[in-house]
Amino acid sequence: MAHTAEIDTKEAWSGGQSPFRLSYGKIFMWFFLVSDALTFGGLLISYGFIRHKYADIWPKAENVFTHFPFVESHLPLAYVGLMTFILIMSSVTMVLAVEAGHRMDKKGVTIWMLWTIIGGLAFVGSQAWEWYHFIIGTHEGAVRNVWDMATGQYVQTTFHGANMVTNEYGVPQFANYFFFITGFHGTHVFSGVVLNFIIFLNVLKGTYEKRGHYEMVEKVGLYWHFVDLVWVFVFTFFYLL
Amino acid sequence: MEFHDNYPQYEIMSNHDEAYGKKARRTLWNVFWVMLAITIFELIIGFMAPDKGWSGTTWLKVLFISLTLVKAAAIVLWFMHLGHEVKFFKWAILAPYMLFIMYTTWIVLTEGTYSGQSGNFARVDPIFIKQQQELKLKKGHHGGEAHEAAPAEAHGEAHH
Repeated sequence: MAHTAEIDTKEAWSGGQSPFRLSYGKIFMWFFLVSDALTFGGLLISYGFIRHKYADIWPKAENVFTHFPFVESHLPLAYVGLMTFILIMSSVTMVLAVEAGHRMDKKGVTIWMLWTIIGGLAFVGSQAWEWYHFIIGTHEGAVRNVWDMATGQYVQTTFHGANMVTNEYGVPQFANYFFFITGFHGTHVFSGVVLNFIIFLNVLKGTYEKRGHYEMVEKVGLYWHFVDLVWVFVFTFFYLL
Repeated sequence: MEFHDNYPQYEIMSNHDEAYGKKARRTLWNVFWVMLAITIFELIIGFMAPDKGWSGTTWLKVLFISLTLVKAAAIVLWFMHLGHEVKFFKWAILAPYMLFIMYTTWIVLTEGTYSGQSGNFARVDPIFIKQQQELKLKKGHHGGEAHEAAPAEAHGEAHH
């Protein structure tokens, strides 16, 4: 593309143009994403720290997330595999919307943006389903020392599911990190869907057609790919390892 | 006030024609197929790992983390288009982040080794250690088919 050609360094920094050959908005979307990636990086690294500390008694994800809708059997990894597929797919539809925008193809942008929004909603819905099953837990449950408010002491009782204090799967930190990291990621997905929807309405209205470029689609696209990028890491560190 | 009059319109300069778009789309779909193949491969390995006794081995960790980095690179370089930006910009984004991650990973591995020592481990509820031992015993008895059995005592791993 025209703007990607190598340019003379001296000329690039002499003013009157962007040395990065990018617009202001896109550069700052990138820097925002770097800061957001630092947050996720910090969360995942602290997760790794605690997991390493309790390596022997840390629950295995394949024993915790074994449900699949409408299937009454033990299927580890299948559901999260589906969620990953949905998110990667929506990343592709997003990048195709960006590509259509570069050709000023309003119809193409509309269709691909719509698919991206649908994919995002499907992912958020899947995550809600996963949280639901994590919270209600199994029929068997597990014996836990649960704090009893009335008597002011720990009582040994069979506990089902998970909350921020107790969970049947193992150490409480497992549920804490699961809720916090997937919750933080899910919030990002949700806000991504909202942003995509706003831009989608503008595409329909013809705002970018009039402007002569679809760079706003590219900017929300960057955010959307970032969400996918984070999920790639969450998927590995929570479910695979 | 017009801010942009003297500046090149980078937004418009990045527009391209149908011929270029066709090539770009082919590349993007190829990236997608590679990512999908990697993910399916990871799922198959992850599915087989507990029965084959691969869980927690170093080579498995190295494999999963490197495949993850490959996927991450594909997203950043092609989907987010960073591979085609000006070189200086590429490094303005990547260098600070890589520095932070490498430093933090290093310090956490160092400190994590200390905090994982048994002396610093005393405050864990013994009930978790008991649960873990029961799970291990059960695995031994049923040869990895623990979820088929539903013994009366409470546990977290059985079929649910």
